[in-house]
Amino acid sequence: MLSALPDAIAILLSFEGLLVLVLGTVLGIVLGAMPGIGSTVAVAIVLPFTLTMSQAPAIILLLAVYAGSVYGGSIAAILINTPGTPQSAATCLDGYPMAQRGDAGLALGWATVASVVGGLVSAVVLIFAAPQLAAFALQFGPIETFALILLGMTCIVSVSTGSVVKGLMAGMIGIFLSTVGGDPILGEMRFTFGNWQLFAGFNLLAVVIGVFALSEVFIRASASVNKVSELVAFNGVVLPSWQMWKGRFGNLAKSVAIGNVIGVLPGTGAATAAFISYAEGRRSSPNRDGFGKGEPDGIVSSEAANNAVTGGALVPTMALGIPGDAITAVMLATLTLHGITPGPRLVDDNPTLIAAIFAGFFVINLLLLPLGMLLSRVAAPILRVREAFMMTAIVILCAVGIYFVRGNPFDLLVMGGAGFVGFLLRRQGVPMAPLVIGMVLGPTLELTLRQGLILTDGSFVAFFTGHPIALVLAIAAVLALSLPLLRALLARRAS
Amino acid sequence: MQRLANERVIVQLGLLIVAVALYASTFQQSFSASDLAQSPMFFPRIILTLWIGLAVIALVQTIRADETQPVIASWPRIAIVIVAALIYCNIIASEGFFLPSVVFALVCLPAFGIRNPLLVVPFAILVPGALVLLFNHTLGMPLPTSRFTYLF
Repeated sequence: MLSALPDAIAILLSFEGLLVLVLGTVLGIVLGAMPGIGSTVAVAIVLPFTLTMSQAPAIILLLAVYAGSVYGGSIAAILINTPGTPQSAATCLDGYPMAQRGDAGLALGWATVASVVGGLVSAVVLIFAAPQLAAFALQFGPIETFALILLGMTCIVSVSTGSVVKGLMAGMIGIFLSTVGGDPILGEMRFTFGNWQLFAGFNLLAVVIGVFALSEVFIRASASVNKVSELVAFNGVVLPSWQMWKGRFGNLAKSVAIGNVIGVLPGTGAATAAFISYAEGRRSSPNRDGFGKGEPDGIVSSEAANNAVTGGALVPTMALGIPGDAITAVMLATLTLHGITPGPRLVDDNPTLIAAIFAGFFVINLLLLPLGMLLSRVAAPILRVREAFMMTAIVILCAVGIYFVRGNPFDLLVMGGAGFVGFLLRRQGVPMAPLVIGMVLGPTLELTLRQGLILTDGSFVAFFTGHPIALVLAIAAVLALSLPLLRALLARRAS
Repeated sequence: MQRLANERVIVQLGLLIVAVALYASTFQQSFSASDLAQSPMFFPRIILTLWIGLAVIALVQTIRADETQPVIASWPRIAIVIVAALIYCNIIASEGFFLPSVVFALVCLPAFGIRNPLLVVPFAILVPGALVLLFNHTLGMPLPTSRFTYLF
């Protein structure tokens, strides 16, 4: 991959490359700062516009929006005590009290530096860990890949907030949706019911935007209308001095490590990392007594961890083609839409693209410092924009984005339908991330299963008897699937 | 009766019926492959079987559990927003992007509680107008135009 670095840098230094780096980070910070939009919706809104770009700038734009939105969430958390994204919920605990004391600028300064450090370290972890993991995965044939995808599907259990059964069911619905249209081996049509619009299957993008962005608008419409929050006094970001950092480096390092480790684990996500890191900081920080009253270590714990998750989460996504959460599933969907097959061969087959993505991710995290300082002042008034305007604009932008990609009105219908079904299912506690994960991984799962059956003359048992890697992965999948169920069962018995 | 006739049960039952209907439909289609594993319906049948099994478990769990349904704050608002969004998605291709977007914003903003015409009307015209200007006349990537004029 190192040999591809000059080409990758050339992509980043091109006009398109620089534009997406800056524009994506700006968009991410602004969208992340708006309460209620969140990283997933922000990435989903931008996704359609990436389809006119070449592969590397498209993914870099989404990464910039992702990393920017995670940081942007802290602006709302600190200034109006409402996390812009769920990842920033822990930041409210100390950020807002500090802002109320009149130190809003300093609170954002702590958040900015912690976010940048967390993001940069996670970029280094991504750059070194992903190629190693991918190199190992190159030994995989169809059977090992099938077992790997099976293991990847088990992350559905961990992203299934609320009910594991409903999460698994959503995963099955997603896989089923991916089977509509042409059969991957024989090319015969399935579940089209005579409708030629379905011959190419459901447009993944329309489903993603429908179930995430449009259903979010419907969910908001079904809830009480939010009043505009009061802003605390704020005159720009104030970076903490070197003296102020003394005695806090241990907490920063620990938070970054927690974020990276949790990021690599499928399905845990940045919000979990932020709260675990906050709890650990509260337990071990020398300044633990001040936690909850505006203690900088509280802000550092949360922000360093949630930004460190961004790179960690990309390790299994890029190296193995396994998305850990909704956002990385959208990233994989983008790769698919750009004609790239996610999976173990991704790094080996696309060295320049991957090098550009990794280097771009590093630069994005560097850009968070100047752009974060600059945009915090601009983003502050945006926090006062009423939800009605944001929700209406989201629907209009989604429609533009979907039509713009293929010019196919049927995709708009799919988006509308997915939004309505997504709304209904979310109201019943059915999570949407498994549906997208199923839709992304479904085609590879089917293809490798059927290729494997050809190789083993139709014997499913032979998948595991002659393939030790597949056996280990399958055991890991069974454990990953059964342990949470077992834990839930034991917890129910205990209660 | 209340336990059986609530939104959660109806949706779960709907999911089960859809899965069963799709499973039944797999037997009504004929394909060239005679080998079971290479039949185009081999994989979908596995998935649909799992879907049906999970739907049954979820339905039983829903009936047995005494979960509280998330409350809808305003039925008229959610109905207006959903119907407006679905109609909007439907008519963009035939009526163009600009006019349906203006009408959608004029309907949606008051539904969300913005009643001041000095806020609603400019937003409803300026946001879609800016997008038409950007896509149709600057980027050269046209959004659908109306039957009245090619300009928007």
